[in-house]
Amino acid sequence: MYSGRCYGYFYRLTGDRDLSDELLSELFIRLVEKIGSYKGGAFESWLFKIASNIFHDHLRGKQRRKKLLEARRSQLELEPDLNESRLSDEGEERLDKLQTHLNRLDADTRDLILLRFHSELSFKEIAELRSEPIGTALSKLHRGLKKLRELMEG
Amino acid sequence: MRDQAHENLIELLQRFMDEPTARAAHEDIQAGERFLEAYPAPTPDVRLIATIKTQMAVAALRRHRIARLVHGSLAAAAAVIVLALIGLLGPGSANRSHMSYVAIIPPAIWESDDITADDLDLAYFSSEIGQIEAQVQALDAGESESGSGALDEFEDELMAIQADFWKG
Repeated sequence: MYSGRCYGYFYRLTGDRDLSDELLSELFIRLVEKIGSYKGGAFESWLFKIASNIFHDHLRGKQRRKKLLEARRSQLELEPDLNESRLSDEGEERLDKLQTHLNRLDADTRDLILLRFHSELSFKEIAELRSEPIGTALSKLHRGLKKLRELMEG
Repeated sequence: MRDQAHENLIELLQRFMDEPTARAAHEDIQAGERFLEAYPAPTPDVRLIATIKTQMAVAALRRHRIARLVHGSLAAAAAVIVLALIGLLGPGSANRSHMSYVAIIPPAIWESDDITADDLDLAYFSSEIGQIEAQVQALDAGESESGSGALDEFEDELMAIQADFWKG
């Protein structure tokens, strides 16, 4: 139940099955490690907060790797072979239409949309999880989904 | 639109915008989320789930063992402190050298030539040590009773998961 929703969240954020496998494994291992810090309340909220942190840790690591790669590339004058339009580093998968258009949204809006959809949390809980005012979360979600609708229908 | 959170989105939107704008925003949100429903994300592979379950069981087991180790170390440290205190409060403590404060058996015993008295003192200390050991073991057994049950449960679960994994 939770594994499918968390996997969907990771997959739609990354568009990469192998990476989603890794992130899902990491999530459940971290869950065991942090189970003592769960103080009750909405389990989904706690679970998706950890999931979101794992994804952002991954992004930070990826940015570090990208910087290292760029530095090395400029040093060795290698041909750039990174496909920047995709989040996947080595994915060979064919992305569906939704994934392609989701990738056109900015990372924060995409995260918010997917968090809302897969976690099934209320806006109040999502705003708390993201540490931002509820009005801000609503406004970002509206703009993001409107853009997604235009892209999908266009 | 899915609304497992049972919130009235229009009402929520109307807190930040006028009614027509809120209705239009609600429609945009619904339409956008319909696309997310129309293109379901893939589900995790069953083998991945089995592997994750195994990893979780191993991680839980490791946590449990660390907790037991810490508990055991604390009990051993407590026993050493108690034995050291017995040594400090034992007969002849006033005449002990500075070094002897760390000793468990008072130096009066090994500094004395009175073998008969030493034997009695040693018997007394052996008995004390035996009692303390028994108490520590009883405490350990009493407190870890549920823990060892949990340990067995984890091991059973681990074996079951491994069996499922290889079947799958």
